Amino acid sequence: MMLRRLPLTARVPLIVTLFMVAVSVFTSERVLTRLAETQERHIQALADAYVDGLALALVDSIIREDVWQVFDVLDRSREKSGDIRPTETIVAGPDDFVIASSKPLDIPSHVRVPARYVAPIRENGRIAVDENEKKAYLRRDVRYESLRIGSIYAALDIAPLLAERRSVLWVLLLTNALLTIALAGAAWFIMRRMMRPITLLTGYLERSHTGAVTSIPDEIVAQVPRDHRPAFGAYNRLASAVADREALSARLAEEERLASLGRLASGMAHEINNPLGGLFNAIDTLKRHGADRHTRNVTLDLVDRGLKGIRDVVRVALVTYRAERDQRHLSRSDIDDLKRLVAPEASRLGVLLEWQNELTDTVGIPATIVRQILLNLALNACQATPRGSCAAISIAETLVSVVIRVEDRGPGMPASAIAMLIGGGDRPAPIGQGTGLGLWMTNRLVRELGGSISVAAGAEGGTVVTVTLPRRKEREFAHVA
Amino acid sequence: MALRMAIDRRRLLRGGGSLAASFGVLGARAHAADAPLRFALTPVLLTSDLVMLEALKDYLARAMGRPVQLVSRRTYQEITALLVTRQVDAAWICGYPFVAYRKELALVAVPVWRGKPLYQSYLIGRAGQKADNLADLAGTVHAFSDPDSNSGYLVTCAALAEMGQSPGRFFSHFFYTYGHRNVVRAVATGLAVGGSVDGYVYDVLREAEPALCADTRVILKSELLGFPPIACPAAEAQSPTIMQLREALITMPNDQRGRDVLAMLRLDGFSNEPPELFDGIARKMDLVRGVPP
Repeated sequence: MMLRRLPLTARVPLIVTLFMVAVSVFTSERVLTRLAETQERHIQALADAYVDGLALALVDSIIREDVWQVFDVLDRSREKSGDIRPTETIVAGPDDFVIASSKPLDIPSHVRVPARYVAPIRENGRIAVDENEKKAYLRRDVRYESLRIGSIYAALDIAPLLAERRSVLWVLLLTNALLTIALAGAAWFIMRRMMRPITLLTGYLERSHTGAVTSIPDEIVAQVPRDHRPAFGAYNRLASAVADREALSARLAEEERLASLGRLASGMAHEINNPLGGLFNAIDTLKRHGADRHTRNVTLDLVDRGLKGIRDVVRVALVTYRAERDQRHLSRSDIDDLKRLVAPEASRLGVLLEWQNELTDTVGIPATIVRQILLNLALNACQATPRGSCAAISIAETLVSVVIRVEDRGPGMPASAIAMLIGGGDRPAPIGQGTGLGLWMTNRLVRELGGSISVAAGAEGGTVVTVTLPRRKEREFAHVA
Repeated sequence: MALRMAIDRRRLLRGGGSLAASFGVLGARAHAADAPLRFALTPVLLTSDLVMLEALKDYLARAMGRPVQLVSRRTYQEITALLVTRQVDAAWICGYPFVAYRKELALVAVPVWRGKPLYQSYLIGRAGQKADNLADLAGTVHAFSDPDSNSGYLVTCAALAEMGQSPGRFFSHFFYTYGHRNVVRAVATGLAVGGSVDGYVYDVLREAEPALCADTRVILKSELLGFPPIACPAAEAQSPTIMQLREALITMPNDQRGRDVLAMLRLDGFSNEPPELFDGIARKMDLVRGVPP
């Protein structure tokens, strides 16, 4: 039904209007019917009084068929009539021939009573109303000693009564129309007021769908009618719960980053520790056999290589964590550095890394974010790959994009993890350890760069994750830089 | 029917006593010097003019030095009966009853209108109606004033008699209104197509109530005839009361009150006239009596 499609603020006034129209039609009909009945009684009473008076005065004249006397009485009685005026009165003999009428020019004596008087009258002494002609007709038989000696016919002008009826109808219509408009307006106003908190709440809920879930300020809640406050309270509790959850997600992400940093740090420490033993031995050797030139040279060469290895590890760590959002271009060395970072973890897990870096020069993509993505995927692949197996990582460039491909020999990525990796951006952060927070972060970072991720099964089992990142135009990149 | 009633009435009057008995209250009065003068008036004039009647009564009482009792009746017939049976001392009657009861009645005085003791009968119709003479009214409804009126009945009947007609045959219907003013009303409202009316009353009405006469016009005027006179029973003609009354009437223009009454009546005065003044009316009566109804 069409009514259902209308908003409440229109529907309620419409229902009120329809209701009022129905009520006014009903009441108007009742009032006018009662008025018509009252008026008819009024006319009947007046007509009775008029005709009764005439009948008394006319008995003798009717018996004598005295034209002048009958006319004289009719003529005189017309002069003193009140608000309802008899327009015509006819006195007829028993044969219904006119003795005299009040308007002899229209209804002369000695003719039959006109049909317009005889036709509408059904009952002796009872008025018959003809609204078209605005007249009421009456016939009263005049009796003398139980013998009908003649009849009095009267036509009464009821135009004033009909005019009164019409004016009452207009007053009713006007009053009801004004009342209907007022009530419909009031209904619209009240409904709008009632709906305002709902509209407000709907606005907040809709905004939470596209952006942040913000709670409604207390001063606004305070203005809301009491009935709606629980809903607003519930919304605000929901908003704060969502905010808490997002804060927790951010903290967990940070913790995860720190945890991976910790793992890298222990790998690094291991890398540094390995040459340290050799270096201390070399120092001992130098102390004891430093005088020997050959030994000294060999030993210093050893020290030099060991220190260079330590220097490289430290440099990579510095580069990777130097700045949160370094807008530096991605370069071939960034990928190589990353290999040094991942290698200790891979060797700890007993995974052979197949590293293929096909970048030739700098590419217009932020280096830090790409390194974070690749680091997450590479560490994930190392963890998924069983000890002694191989994990293949390659990075290549095309004219428009950079393609990162990470393949492991694991048991295959679970569906929930795939969803986390390639799902939509509005998915909330997973809370808790080992729930794929790294994958979720990767997803976010790839989207940030406007790239895409696909997950497929590898040719020899395991999983192949392909990330395609579009190259930025040089000008845009220069601006970012 | 009305004509028959008039004849019945005459037979009744000739019979005398029975009608007189019905007016016994008046008859019981003695003719003492201080007894009031009983003066009867036919509805010649505007019956509603009570002020005029009061002024007339007042003038006569002062002029005669005795109280005056005015007696009014609806029809000429009743007034004539009162006079013939001497239940009133004098009466203002029509010329037709006067000639009808010529032997029983005597003249006291005759009003003078427009310098003459004469007046006319008018045949009237509705204004705008096409009728130039009596013949044009054949087959219509006619209003007469009174079956004992000269101007309101006899003149028209005499004219019809000359055509060998009677009202019953000539008109489709006719009725009596018992008043000249009512004849004008009947014609003005259309109740009757034509009417026979006193020319003096009609002219006075045209002046006093122009609205009433506006819808009527005079079709035909009769020859001049004797004005309705003041008459008394023949036996009383030389009595002091009648002499006094005649004197009072004839000297009316000499007195301010009398002039006021005459102004109201639109009359010049009263004069002493011979009964031969009414011979014209007597001829009409004879003419009508010779024609079958």
